[in-house]
Amino acid sequence: MKIIVIGILLVALAFLGAPLFSIIGAIALAAFYSAGIDTSAIIVELYRLASAPTLIAIPLFTFAGYILAESKTPKRLVALSQALFGWIPGGLAVVALVSCAVFTAFTGASGVTIIALGGLLYPILIQERYEEKFSLGLLTTSGSLGLLFPPSLPLILYSMVASNSRVAGGSVPDVTIDKLFVAGILPGVLLVIMLSVFSIRHGLRARVPRIPFEWNTIRAAVTDAAWEIPLPFLIIGGIYGGLFTATEAAAVTAFYALIVEVFVYRDLKLFSDIPRIMKESMILVGAIIVILGCAMGLTNYLIDEEVPMKLFQTIQELISSKAVFLILLNIFLLIVGMMMDIFSAIIVVVPLIIPIATAYGISPLHLGIIFLTNLEIGYLTPPVGLNLFISSFRFEKPISEVVRATLPFIGILLIALALITYVPEMSLWLVELSGTR
Amino acid sequence: MKVIKAISGALLFVERAVVVLLLGAMVAFAFLQVILRNVFATGLLWVDPFLRHLVLWIGFLGASIATQQEKHINIDLVTRFLSPRATNVARVFTNLFAGSICALLSNAGWTFVASERSTGGSLFTIGNMEFASWWFQIIIPVGFGLMSLRFLIRTAEHIIEAFNPTPTVQHTTNVPTLDD
Repeated sequence: MKIIVIGILLVALAFLGAPLFSIIGAIALAAFYSAGIDTSAIIVELYRLASAPTLIAIPLFTFAGYILAESKTPKRLVALSQALFGWIPGGLAVVALVSCAVFTAFTGASGVTIIALGGLLYPILIQERYEEKFSLGLLTTSGSLGLLFPPSLPLILYSMVASNSRVAGGSVPDVTIDKLFVAGILPGVLLVIMLSVFSIRHGLRARVPRIPFEWNTIRAAVTDAAWEIPLPFLIIGGIYGGLFTATEAAAVTAFYALIVEVFVYRDLKLFSDIPRIMKESMILVGAIIVILGCAMGLTNYLIDEEVPMKLFQTIQELISSKAVFLILLNIFLLIVGMMMDIFSAIIVVVPLIIPIATAYGISPLHLGIIFLTNLEIGYLTPPVGLNLFISSFRFEKPISEVVRATLPFIGILLIALALITYVPEMSLWLVELSGTR
Repeated sequence: MKVIKAISGALLFVERAVVVLLLGAMVAFAFLQVILRNVFATGLLWVDPFLRHLVLWIGFLGASIATQQEKHINIDLVTRFLSPRATNVARVFTNLFAGSICALLSNAGWTFVASERSTGGSLFTIGNMEFASWWFQIIIPVGFGLMSLRFLIRTAEHIIEAFNPTPTVQHTTNVPTLDD
């Protein structure tokens, strides 16, 4: 009875907007109190954060992402993709998809893509006579596209949280960042290609004017972005080629982005812009770290109490086939993705779901890709997906209009999700091929 | 109220300065370590544990600033549809709740640090200088303590605003902006 009252109270507080870390912390405190263990045990678990070798990747990649977002990188990125893809029918839409995907990979899908790139692309799309509805849906969708590409923060976080949990049988799952970075590439490309095909079809039908292909424009755009083009290759190539680990890639990226934007492009001022960006980016990092820390305490308690195993036994009695489990998993994750932001969804749900999914024979790497694809779609799911609100705010359109514009895109993403879910090779093939550490 | 505002402002100034300093150090040392490892096939032993603890420091200070600006991650489902006054009342409860939880966690943190201190382990040594673990761990109780204080200040502000028709507290929404 007491537990039920406390539970209802905490759920109510969570929905009223209490910080999630305080809800998780409260559950952990209550659990340890009732088990008669001193609460400093929670802090012992929290402190294990400081022994996670990949922890440094979080602040470093976040900082790098914020630097790129606040400089003129978005402009150069759009100009470059326009020069490269603008000549395709529906090319501008493809430009939007590609540049948003690259941008989101670096900034971690906090909605900043719609604010920064959407604001640049929307007027150009309208000017080039793309339908208003299509443009709105396209940019809302692009806001979370690219989550599966390195060095996206959700990938790093999934790897960290998964490494702190247990698979069925009790061993630690083998989900290093380096492997996850490689696993996300093909599924990520699939999402971009499917949306591109849809956009090209729209472009052909709407007979939008095509930008002629010109070497001079490409040369100018490439020269302009010459210092930024190496960045994705540095990360993917460096890790893929075994040159350095993901954590080292984070160090190089942060240093490189800082030097290039401050001293080469001079987009940002060292003594005014950089301290502000540091503060802003570390607010996000702090918010993630406290949730992660409180969840570490709780997760270990749950594992000790064998909660995931009990959950699994209950579920197994109801669902016997892997295929059915995967469908239900997708529905569950879509709802989670709609209600929670991506970071807390990963931190809270992954430790519970990994033992269950692995018991059904799903690889933890593949699960990660399924997980993030679902959350990516969850951003767009009506009625409360976050991107819908950000888009409505940014483009000054009512939510209902944004929802209607986004529906066809959600349809395409759901087809892609089915492929990603039922063709595990798409996620795992490159990992095996590369033999990444 | 003025006194509270002054304290809060001074805190923010210090937190910001420390975050900037530590993040700068982190970027520099992490890069240096990569160069040492890959170019000179060597490395400084103390840098890795040092950097990992820096993340804790930066994280807790960032979280404290997040508290002041109400930018913690939450499920903001209900307040999207509430009136400003009702939102204020909700915020009173959520801030008071979070403040109490932080106080309890800070207390648990003190117990943890005290026991680590009495065991007397060191994190790393540079030359003859030993760096005790608890020097780095102290940020856990201090961080939760700072957040607790901040949540209580926020609670007070929302109580005042709930009774006051003219808004005095700036609302921060979950919609990210590039220029705030």
